[in-house]
Amino acid sequence: MYTLLIVQLAVSGALMGMVYALIAYGFQLTFATSKSINFGQGELVMLSALFSLTLIDSGLPYWLVVPGGMLFGVILGLFVERAAVRLSLEQKGEGWILLTIILGLLGFSAAENIWGRDDRPFPTPIPSDPLHFFGIDVTPLELSVAIGVLTVMGLVELFKRKTLLGKAFEAVSADRDAAQLMGISATRTIQLSYGLSGLVAAMAGILVAPITTVGPTMASVLILKAFSVAVVAGLDSGFGVVLIGLFLGALESLTSFYLGSGWREAPGLVLLILALAVRPNGVFGKASIRKV
Amino acid sequence: MLTVENLHAGYGTSEVLVDISLEVKAGSVVALIGANGAGKTTTMRAISGMLKPNRGRVLLDGRLVQEFDASRIARLGLAHSPEGRKVFGPLSVEDNLLLGAYSRLPRFFGFRARAAADLEGVYALFPRLKERRLQAAGTLSGGEQQMLAIGRALMSKPKVMLLDEPSMGLAPIIVQEVFSTIRRLKETGITLLLVEQFAKSALEVADYAYVMDRGRIVIEGTPAHLREDERVLAAYLG
Ligand SMILES: Nc1ncnc2c1ncn2[C@@H]1O[C@H](COP(=O)(O)OP(=O)(O)OP(=O)(O)O)[C@@H](O)[C@H]1O
Ligand SMILES: [Mg+2]
Repeated sequence: MYTLLIVQLAVSGALMGMVYALIAYGFQLTFATSKSINFGQGELVMLSALFSLTLIDSGLPYWLVVPGGMLFGVILGLFVERAAVRLSLEQKGEGWILLTIILGLLGFSAAENIWGRDDRPFPTPIPSDPLHFFGIDVTPLELSVAIGVLTVMGLVELFKRKTLLGKAFEAVSADRDAAQLMGISATRTIQLSYGLSGLVAAMAGILVAPITTVGPTMASVLILKAFSVAVVAGLDSGFGVVLIGLFLGALESLTSFYLGSGWREAPGLVLLILALAVRPNGVFGKASIRKV
Repeated sequence: MLTVENLHAGYGTSEVLVDISLEVKAGSVVALIGANGAGKTTTMRAISGMLKPNRGRVLLDGRLVQEFDASRIARLGLAHSPEGRKVFGPLSVEDNLLLGAYSRLPRFFGFRARAAADLEGVYALFPRLKERRLQAAGTLSGGEQQMLAIGRALMSKPKVMLLDEPSMGLAPIIVQEVFSTIRRLKETGITLLLVEQFAKSALEVADYAYVMDRGRIVIEGTPAHLREDERVLAAYLG
């Protein structure tokens, strides 16, 4: 009976961990092409979730809300690239770090002013009555998170492997200068990566919203853990973020059971500290981690 | 086909290239030779847009391109196979080749079918690449990577090809193979600017040659002419 409880906790936690994995995957996408990431990605998750909530409130059916919210995420991602990243990369500078943080803060203020400070429930047609698998309860809602995450990541990976544009994306990631010599525009490819990163972040927001509720602060904790997952898994393995995401999710759930829910955020932080201590240069490379 | 006029370029504040002018006529092979550090690679980079020239003009098929981004110059028909090969290591041999033809293929679907004939052409030239078509390019030997770099540049069907030290770091027997490939390409009528350390072999395939020294072009002429020049004999063909 006791073992079953442990497994139950681990499974529920791991399913939540998939959300960290998806956000971390968004970091990987832009890091691959440009060696930069959006430090305001949490706000992007949150704004996309709030926008989707507005779509629901306006009476749009759920199956239209999802693509609508994702489109909004793409637009935000493209905006971040244009406003905060492009010029600084052209000058081979690190200005994007500060600029993306500032954009995030602006996004946060905007959210407070437009949607208010309260957390609100996010209605979803997906039921939360548990299903039983071998004595373990899993709600369709939790399952939808895992399925949604794997679907989005699978589609992006398929795009990268099967289309020429996707191969160009990989080429820019492998060697930006050589890719340019093939006629591939690095600028456009980086733009594309920010668009995709915005898309997966929005998807993460929509998937997690029914579980966490929606408000300006909804992503502040999420983003820290996504960051841990990205640093621990490394910034080039999509498979790695899923594994680490599952692991961290399960670990958190067990920690809060054994040590009390106040310790819930500890594993993510400890993991991050360990990863940075063991690999002092960090996965972001020497230059950027020093400044972060 | 390619004309460079009074080109000046450098890195940061130091000027490396001083007043470079050269011409590559359609269907000809032109060699660019010179000691290490003379500025041959820098010249190629300034032509292909990897490095923005400070002054001067680059005309590709009659069109001024020195202001353009490298990817745009590539799309206009210049294929630059850079020093050190720069193949896309994690990608397969075939993907590398397909990306060579990027500018003239559909982006999403049907690109394989459209590139099939040209792929076969490259595989006919380099059968070894066909055997290894699904292998990651980074795991190829140096010689095979050079074949891939040349094949990738050919896939774009360029108006002009720049080839920077294809023999770098290769065993003598492979170097011979590289030069026989260049001779075969020449028979097909390719327009080529070739940088080579093996000045002797380069002069054997070239129709015309330029000699660089400390960022300037110091001698130019037909191979026959250069072979009689004492300075060239002493410095490069000794
Ligand atoms: N990225 C760079 N930054 C600063 N200086 C550079 C850079 N690349 C080359 N140089 C300098 O420019 C000069 C010309 O170098 P370049 O690589 O063009 O010579 P090269 O003729 O191709 O030599 P090699 O035969 O060794 O390839 C050298 O003095 C070199 O030190
Ligand atoms: Mg060189």
